[in-house]
Amino acid sequence: MTLTCYVNGVLRTFDVTPDEYLADTLRRNGFFSVREGCNESACGACTVLLDDKPVLSCSILSAKAEGKHITTVDGIQDEAKKLSHCFAEEGADQCGYCNVGFALTVYSLKKHNKNATDEEIKEYIVGNLCRCTGYQSQLKAIKAYLKGE
Amino acid sequence: MRVKNYYYASSLEDAFSRLHESNKNAIIAGGLWMKKTAQEYDTLIDLSKLGLDKIEDKKDEVVVGAMVTLREFEHSPVIQSLNSGMTAFAVREVMGLQFRNMATIGGSIFGRYPFSDVIAGLIVLDVALHFYPEAKMSLVDYLSYKGKYDGILTHISIKKDNAKGYFKKVKATALDFPLLNISISKRNNKLYIALGSRPMTAALCLKAMDYLDKNPVDDEAINKASEIACEELMFSDSTNISKEYRIDLAKVYIRRGLKEVL
Ligand SMILES: Cc1cc2nc3c(=O)[nH]c(=O)nc-3n(C[C@H](O)[C@H](O)[C@H](O)COP(=O)(O)OP(=O)(O)OC[C@H]3O[C@@H](n4cnc5c(N)ncnc54)[C@H](O)[C@@H]3O)c2cc1C
Repeated sequence: MTLTCYVNGVLRTFDVTPDEYLADTLRRNGFFSVREGCNESACGACTVLLDDKPVLSCSILSAKAEGKHITTVDGIQDEAKKLSHCFAEEGADQCGYCNVGFALTVYSLKKHNKNATDEEIKEYIVGNLCRCTGYQSQLKAIKAYLKGE
Repeated sequence: MRVKNYYYASSLEDAFSRLHESNKNAIIAGGLWMKKTAQEYDTLIDLSKLGLDKIEDKKDEVVVGAMVTLREFEHSPVIQSLNSGMTAFAVREVMGLQFRNMATIGGSIFGRYPFSDVIAGLIVLDVALHFYPEAKMSLVDYLSYKGKYDGILTHISIKKDNAKGYFKKVKATALDFPLLNISISKRNNKLYIALGSRPMTAALCLKAMDYLDKNPVDDEAINKASEIACEELMFSDSTNISKEYRIDLAKVYIRRGLKEVL
């Protein structure tokens, strides 16, 4: 079957199988910034935005993206740079594998709730696991990013 | 999960007739639980284009479409106003935000998952399920329905009772399945208690509720009700929690919850 959707604002058509997941479709077509982690709907490394909402690309069938707008981290480069600067300032990443998922989730938070409280930030990122840090430095970095520092 | 065809239904009638063309056809909602299964399907029937993704605030009830995501549900002001916010809170306890942007109310209820925080959060309220072909059933009746229900869940309706609620999900880590969930509501002056993930599906503790109905609700009655609740329902061991510990936890949280809603 064919999937027609927008990826980072560009209309694309992909050949997909009915049981193919979006992370696989995107990676097969060169969107290597999309990372697979647990493949169990748990870690958030594969996060992309679907019509502006963070979803797990490892667990959403590609067929469900028909006609929708997909955003990968390539589509938010300016914001991702600002966030990675804040992460670097706070020492909030080590191996970096989870960063892409964090970037998209936090970008969505900024769009929907720029003045998020600590609790709201924590609630937003609970589905993004980081195995290196203890989340405190990330919390500080995200607060700085939301403030635009 | 293996799938041969993916089909967007054009109407409920169309979805229902497709569904019954083969016993290897199935409705897909968020598809998250289906991903976990090793099932093979001929056709998955997607209901996304049927307008079942709305939450309607009516005079006496809230009507929630089956395709409303858990995130939309928990975020809805009218849902947050029910049961002093505890029904929305129960749903917010499920996994992370990305997950809840995908999983649906319909899939969560239709699947009758024993661990379900969604069901535990709802069962203490007056909730009816609406199906195609037209049929209506209370959530409580649906949970004890024998076998797989034949119809398509289209929406649920929740009575807008004046209620004060309590919800506790006992879990080992933030993203874990519940080891136990406890849901309590004081609704129209009656106390409702439900326990789920024992590991069986949430059920009302009818004897304990009846006891509280017939006795002055003081500390002694609360203690007694927590004992009755744990005697009337079945509990068992899971790999990460014993039956005895589950019962101990249930008693403590029932007592706390009752005190909170009084
Ligand atoms: C990794 C993981 C962790 C989870 N953790 C929790 C947790 O901690 N707490 C909790 O409460 N839940 C948890 N869940 C369950 C989750 O919240 C959803 O309830 C579950 O994924 C089903 O929702 P869905 O929209 O994905 O349904 P699907 O997987 O699409 O469908 C589930 C079933 O319902 C049928 N179906 C769906 N919609 C309809 C309909 N409208 N009419 C008729 N049949 C229908 C499907 O055919 C299928 O059999 C977890 C699930 C996963 C995969």
